[in-house]
Amino acid sequence: MFLLNNQAVRTDWASAKSAVTDLLHKHGAKVLTARRWDERQLAYKIRGCLRATFLLVHYEHQGPGVATVRRDLDIEERILRYLILKVETIPAGEMEASQAELEAGFTVPVPPRDDEVVLTPIEPPKMDDEVEDVVDMVAEVEA
Amino acid sequence: MSPLPEYGNRRVIKPIAGRNCDDPKIDYKDPVYLTKFLNPQASIFSRKRTGFCTQCQRELKLAIKRSRHLGLMPFFG
Repeated sequence: MFLLNNQAVRTDWASAKSAVTDLLHKHGAKVLTARRWDERQLAYKIRGCLRATFLLVHYEHQGPGVATVRRDLDIEERILRYLILKVETIPAGEMEASQAELEAGFTVPVPPRDDEVVLTPIEPPKMDDEVEDVVDMVAEVEA
Repeated sequence: MSPLPEYGNRRVIKPIAGRNCDDPKIDYKDPVYLTKFLNPQASIFSRKRTGFCTQCQRELKLAIKRSRHLGLMPFFG
């Protein structure tokens, strides 16, 4: 999992994605899947960013280790943070999702600004029939 | 002199969620589910509170720490 800077994603998604995949190719890894997982608000600031785009990559690497990969990932400015894990199998549906992203019609939504507050509407609490009756009675008495 | 408290009157904390060990592995990419096991200070509940077995609690701990590293969950509330 890689966190990409939204500034780079806004400029060009393909180049932001290739920042990761090219780096992995450079170190002899074979990228099996690479797809945009989500764009989310972060729980805390990472390199001054409050939002980031998450890129989920599955790759095979049979080199001496991931130390050299990590070193390059740390230097890359477009990558805010990364998490490299060992997995036995690729989860179901990952290959299809990755292939769908490679198709021509795929577009990435423009990420919102860091300072933009995304508000979700709050639904009013559901009242029981008895409570509604009491509310009506109170309204009648007050009237 | 007040009577001694009975041992049976101790307050029992109800576990948050029962979980079968056969369920799918706890995922670090699901912060909504993981947040249930954090207190307002964002520290992880004990096994007594979560109701998990030893292995599941370890999985939970690892998933929360991975999620925190990626910025999906806070380190402190």
